[in-house]
Amino acid sequence: MADVILKPIGNFDLTVEAEVVTPDNFAGKTADEIGKVLVWQGPAEYPLTDFFTVEGNGGSSAEDTTIIVDGEIPRVKRIGQQMTAGKVIIKGSAGMHVGSAMEGGEIIVEGDADSWVGMEMKGGSILIKGNTKDHLGCAYRGSWKGMTGGRITVEGDAVSQVGGGLSGGEIIINGNVKHFCGIRISSGLIVVKGNAFRTVGAEMTGGTIVVGGNIERFTPGFELVDIESDLKFNDIECPGEYNKFTGDYAIPQKGKGTLYVSCDNNECL
Amino acid sequence: MQALLNTGSTINEGRLAKGGNKYSEDYTKECAVCWMCAEDFTSLGCPEKVSVTSRDGKHTVAVRSKVTEAMRSGQVFIPRSIWANVVVEPDTFSTGSPRYKGAPVSVEPTDEEVLGAEEIVLTLYMGGE
Amino acid sequence: MVFKNIICPVCGGSCDDVQVNLDTKNRTIDVQNACKMGNAKFQEVVSSHRILKPTIRENGKVKDVSWEEALEMSADILVNARRPLFFLGSETSCEAQEVGLHIAEYLGAPADSNATICHGPTVMGIQESGMVGATAGQAKNRADMIVYWGVNALESMPRHMSKYGVFPRGYWTKRGRFDRTMVTVDPRVTPTAVASDMHLQLNPSSDYELLSAMFTILNGKEPHPSVEEITGIPISVMKQTVEMMKESNFVAIYVGLGVSSSYGKHRNIEIALNFVKEMNNYTKCNIGALRGHCNVAGFNQLASYLYGYPFGLDFMKGYPRYNPGETTTVDLLREKDVDAAFIMSADLVNHIPADCAKYLADIPMICLDIAPCPSTTAADVVLPGVIDAMECDGTFYRLDNVPVYFEPFTESPFSETKSNEDTLKQLFAKIKAKKEA
Ligand code: SF4
Repeated sequence: MADVILKPIGNFDLTVEAEVVTPDNFAGKTADEIGKVLVWQGPAEYPLTDFFTVEGNGGSSAEDTTIIVDGEIPRVKRIGQQMTAGKVIIKGSAGMHVGSAMEGGEIIVEGDADSWVGMEMKGGSILIKGNTKDHLGCAYRGSWKGMTGGRITVEGDAVSQVGGGLSGGEIIINGNVKHFCGIRISSGLIVVKGNAFRTVGAEMTGGTIVVGGNIERFTPGFELVDIESDLKFNDIECPGEYNKFTGDYAIPQKGKGTLYVSCDNNECL
Repeated sequence: MQALLNTGSTINEGRLAKGGNKYSEDYTKECAVCWMCAEDFTSLGCPEKVSVTSRDGKHTVAVRSKVTEAMRSGQVFIPRSIWANVVVEPDTFSTGSPRYKGAPVSVEPTDEEVLGAEEIVLTLYMGGE
Repeated sequence: MVFKNIICPVCGGSCDDVQVNLDTKNRTIDVQNACKMGNAKFQEVVSSHRILKPTIRENGKVKDVSWEEALEMSADILVNARRPLFFLGSETSCEAQEVGLHIAEYLGAPADSNATICHGPTVMGIQESGMVGATAGQAKNRADMIVYWGVNALESMPRHMSKYGVFPRGYWTKRGRFDRTMVTVDPRVTPTAVASDMHLQLNPSSDYELLSAMFTILNGKEPHPSVEEITGIPISVMKQTVEMMKESNFVAIYVGLGVSSSYGKHRNIEIALNFVKEMNNYTKCNIGALRGHCNVAGFNQLASYLYGYPFGLDFMKGYPRYNPGETTTVDLLREKDVDAAFIMSADLVNHIPADCAKYLADIPMICLDIAPCPSTTAADVVLPGVIDAMECDGTFYRLDNVPVYFEPFTESPFSETKSNEDTLKQLFAKIKAKKEA
């Protein structure tokens, strides 16, 4: 395993787009060559060394390249976009679009991540240790198909539109979510261990959503079908009793998804 | 008092804004106004003026109060204008448009002066330049 | 002199029947047919507060300069900035907006318009689910049920009800108001709500739940009972509303900022559009947005056909990209991701949250407008605007996306420029000269 260490040195007055920072791109390059890779800031391109110091060479292939970003980069976007293998570790917070359209490999963000993490992700895994914002694992604007494979885990909270259009893969949120979690999903699994504010599973036509906490405003188009306890989806366990609903009947499409809502935390349902 | 802030147009706001009269006395009279129901007004102690503060406490604006049957308890309305926008939240939930409707605010009685639109720009936005 | 069939350049209604009597000697103007709001703008032609001289701010002091100097300084600001924001406001013609877009493309800058802080979510909703629309005339002639959802039509588009929506006698609605049922959905008891046959006073920000429940009813299922508490509307009333719609011959739904600005935003619009699509299995039903500013629809149309996206365009990489929440004005300013701004025919400082307004006042800003307003106060360069539809010709798009060509009844008060389009072309020439030098 070869480690490439990027240490942020500043100049982030405007945000930077660094979709080139992937193990695929860094493999087979020396530290010097990596430093010369161009990233966008505003309408111009600048070498990576304008923003980071680079230490260590890339591995022989993407699989054995690990990129370690040693610092906070909330204003750097698109790290790990479309990566297929290898590993990216961000030791602080990351900007938008981390692991967008990722196909394989692993990303770990130790701080917070901005919106659009793992948009339309196809495979691999992303772990966010802090919080994230909107559109986690979601479909691109206007598209009805979001993430199709892989797994995203968020240890903190996410905000809105988690897993929009999910059609495969798994999303696990240990904290809370706000609006439209699992909107229009057709397959796959979303587990929210904390609370959700409203419109969970709106327009879903398939797939499964589990909410372990409280839903403040329940989505109207769901029908109670059963009570189940101690759910298990492969290695993901959800202990306790759950009301099982199907829906969303607010849309005419044939297929319906399954929504499990904790009994203990939602007595009014 | 905690309340949800709604903002929107009123016909006179439109007339004055489109007529280029944003720096007129009338415009301030029409827009620097917080509408609320009688119940909320009484619970605040019937103040002539109130200060409205954003949820994060960063921004405050003083406006006159107005009692109307159009509002429900816990909801306030300020006509679409610079006063309202001082306390509207800048977060757009990834849509580009901020929370013009339903931003949580706190409303308290105040003796502070109600500023005109120009003064707001000069003092609040341009740092008293 | 009296001029007829003048187009009103104020709100999205683009009323085309305004009659103007302009007395150039005494500098008075008499306006017939326009509403209060429209009339106020026509008075600008002769008003005393009109901005007539370009100004710049130097060491905190504002001073008059020549057009040449003002344009020169504007071009300097834009060329020297690394990422200037172009806010191409709606109160001007498509022709001027087009030049603005081209400048933004040339400089690799973000370009946006009023939709971003207004009906942007509506446009995004349309993108998600497509729209069953109709022109204003269709609705006028056929609609026997009108729903104003989250819009106070009487005050935001004063003549909508009388010209297109409720009162006019149409071919199949001969008795005008008596042939129509009018429903308003609004958390506030607005004048529009008072004028309606039925008012659904829902709780703020519960539009999605209400629509979703009505959609569930339309699909023959019972919505979850908790929806009554969430929306504040009894399920029986929702059922009644859905029945009323099904029994009507033609339902016209007009949505306003109440739907697209309250949280849910584009999702509210999206489900409304899907509901309307489904409703067409029972009766004719269409939906349209009531647009507050006159040409706000125009920018969306123009930007879509020129560059593929309706607003919030970013030319940073040389080709257009779009992502509301990232490339849109409020977000760019909040994140301090631009370093100068060009604002045309829109009072941006007035309409955005404090943090954004403050940053905008901090960075170099050029403002093109006709009357003093918070944006011109905060600007570093002010270019006087020409009033479209009064002093120059051009194109607007009406609320129902119908293009309307307008002709002036007087001319630009400036010898240096004929129209905002002309001003922008001069600015573009200067920018090109500087960039290529
Ligand atoms: S309704 Fe709108 S377009 Fe018509 S006159 Fe009034 S402001 Fe002008």
